[in-house]
Amino acid sequence: MTAIDKLLKYIKQPVSIAPLVIFRITFGALLFISTLRFLLKGWVHQFYVLPKMYFPYYGFEWVKPLSENTMYLLFFILLFCALLVITGLFYRVAIALFFLIFTYVELIDKTNYLNHYYFVSIVCFILLFIPAHLSFSLDIKWRKKMEIEKISRFYILLIQGQLFLVYFFAGIAKINYDWLINAQPLKMWLPAFSHFYIIGNYLEQDWVAYLFCWFGCIYDLSIGFFLFNKKTVGIAYVFVLIFHLATALFFNIGMFPYVMIVITVIFFKEETHILILQKLKTVFRYSMPRNSTNTLDLKPLLIAIFSVYFIMQLIMPFRYLLYDGKLFWTEQGYRFSWRVMLMEKAGTAFFYVKDSKTNKEIEVDNKKYLTYMQEKQMSTQPDMMVDYAKFLKKEFSEKGFLNPTVRAQSFVTLNGSGSKEFINDTIDLSLESNSFLKNKTWIKDFN
Amino acid sequence: MNKKIIPLFIVLIFCLCFCKKNKNTEPEEIKNPFDKQGMLQNMADNVILPNYTAFSISLDSLIFSYNTFKTTTSSNDFQIVKQQLHSAYLKYQQISLYEFGPAEQCAVRMNFNVFPTDSVQIKTNISLGIYDLLMASNLDAKGFPALDYLFYDLNKTEAQIIQSFSTSANKKQYVSDILTEMQTKINSIISTWNSSYKNQFVNSLSTDVGSSIGFLINQLNFELDYLKNAKIGIPLGKKTLDIALPEKCEAYYGTQSLEYALATLTTVENTYLGKSLNGNDGKGFDDYLDHLNVSYGSGTLNAAIKNQFNNVRTKLNAVNGVLSSQIINNPALVNSAYIELVKLLVLLKTDMPSNLGVVITYQDGDGD
Repeated sequence: MTAIDKLLKYIKQPVSIAPLVIFRITFGALLFISTLRFLLKGWVHQFYVLPKMYFPYYGFEWVKPLSENTMYLLFFILLFCALLVITGLFYRVAIALFFLIFTYVELIDKTNYLNHYYFVSIVCFILLFIPAHLSFSLDIKWRKKMEIEKISRFYILLIQGQLFLVYFFAGIAKINYDWLINAQPLKMWLPAFSHFYIIGNYLEQDWVAYLFCWFGCIYDLSIGFFLFNKKTVGIAYVFVLIFHLATALFFNIGMFPYVMIVITVIFFKEETHILILQKLKTVFRYSMPRNSTNTLDLKPLLIAIFSVYFIMQLIMPFRYLLYDGKLFWTEQGYRFSWRVMLMEKAGTAFFYVKDSKTNKEIEVDNKKYLTYMQEKQMSTQPDMMVDYAKFLKKEFSEKGFLNPTVRAQSFVTLNGSGSKEFINDTIDLSLESNSFLKNKTWIKDFN
Repeated sequence: MNKKIIPLFIVLIFCLCFCKKNKNTEPEEIKNPFDKQGMLQNMADNVILPNYTAFSISLDSLIFSYNTFKTTTSSNDFQIVKQQLHSAYLKYQQISLYEFGPAEQCAVRMNFNVFPTDSVQIKTNISLGIYDLLMASNLDAKGFPALDYLFYDLNKTEAQIIQSFSTSANKKQYVSDILTEMQTKINSIISTWNSSYKNQFVNSLSTDVGSSIGFLINQLNFELDYLKNAKIGIPLGKKTLDIALPEKCEAYYGTQSLEYALATLTTVENTYLGKSLNGNDGKGFDDYLDHLNVSYGSGTLNAAIKNQFNNVRTKLNAVNGVLSSQIINNPALVNSAYIELVKLLVLLKTDMPSNLGVVITYQDGDGD
């Protein structure tokens, strides 16, 4: 048997569907809770109604927010879809709708980009192809689908593989000089918690920052391997708990720690999942006839689709190599690469619009056009500066400026470097573009 | 085989990690973490509250002298009112920054100092004699800018202004109402601080949004931005293609704009330093930054910030004269003060919070 045959046999091997059912229910619950949290925090209004302009993603400039009522309606549909996913009713339609609406909402404004939103989007995409509703679901109970017991290992591997990549790339991203040798940005972040009970006394110590940095890096690089290994999965999960609860304690990262804690359960042994599912079935008095030999065929097309998918996932984090300059400084190719809590970057940007007729310029009051968060993100991210400059050009043309030009002065500090000039303040930013692969030569060198 | 290499590799890295750790612990002496509570205590007891009290006393004397003037309408008492008004407006610059907690509830900046004031609205209010100062439409018809206009009306001689008071009961009442509103608000702020807020303030030790340190840093920057834009930039024409707008100066009628701008700068600096009214320099952000050994260029960030405060002060002093005329006669001079203000703003808004790990948003973050 060749290696490929072996691999194919391995991924096609029938295993219990229980892990996928547990995943469907818990992930669905996470979707429900985070959507509800988003609504209750008033973020729909704050992010998608209040702003006067939006920062679209490259290639998705056509994505625009809808009216306030429609945006709220979409969020209620998301809530409803999450419930359908949990119960497994009209599962395929529900997860497809959730994926489309959620991704649409995320694409409106890159100000709100978070790795974990991206993660939710792609997991929903993966779930589209996974028949996680074929056991313990209302689709079976009410819609006469056939209950099955076994399924190709392939489906479980999809989720596990994706999780593995998240951790592993987050670990690779931490292998950089600032993180390992300078213990930055943790050396700056941890002292802010010096008032914590007992541990607070140590948080200003350099060695603690080093310990956190090195532990974080080693954890991210290795945890995927330990989770995959049946012998070590138990202890690995204890580390998952420690790591994510610690990050939840220190950082303002919302649902992310809880998402990871809940979904790494997919690595638990098959027997554990079967046991849990059995218990659930008893509690809900769920019993359906099943054909125990019924295993779904694994279509070659699906293998092909996900081969391409994973190759892309492997390439994405390395695309920054195509650009010049220091990645953290220019942020060219920074997003969609599992770079989480890696740097402390802050800036202040002043924009100036010049009227060609009088040859005089005005200083823009950024607060007038941008929300606090938009201004904060824009001040350190060159592609957003271009978007903003284009917006200002249009805005001031309408105000009667003749052929306005837009320049910006921006001061940025990265990992405590001290604020320095970020971009060339003489060029007309509104004439620049965010094309793929084109270097932004107007970003000043970091050193 | 492969399965054994991976754990081995990891153990190796762990060893490296602990070597690293040991190297770092040896030479380092354990020092206590920065006393954030001490800093907040100093801010409350020696900086914020004494400034509130000083302002409140000054406002009371203004009201007292105004009540005298109302009955005598003598030129002598008018001079005293103007002096007291100037003194109260100056002391107001020492409290405007602290707009959080009770002051935020009272919206101090919006109710005390919206300029330019709306003279037409003021005249209408006075002639009708019916108005509600608490209405949003009257925000720019009250507070210090309205008093500034009423006591220094540029279109009238001093005798005419005094005359206008003695002949108009409505005008007398209008000024009284403005003063009373400010007095009520400031008394309520001080009493809330003393009864409950102080305790809450000194015990909020995190650096999140809504924490005391978060408030202080936010408002420090808000006030500096306000100085840069509202007090200097806008009159200078920064938002109007260099067309100067002298009537947009703070205290345009009384022409003390520059003095008030300098007072604002001093308040920002004293808050940064944790410096009290009588000049005692207690625990402040300067100590916090130095404690954490924050560097900037070849020196410390604290040194850079202090130096920049001096640069701004030097340039503002160099403007020397009445701001509303200098922005027309000597715009370059005012502009050089403006440029130094921008540099100070960058240091306080970007470098300081970044190094202190201050989070200024409720939104979830990804760490950039």
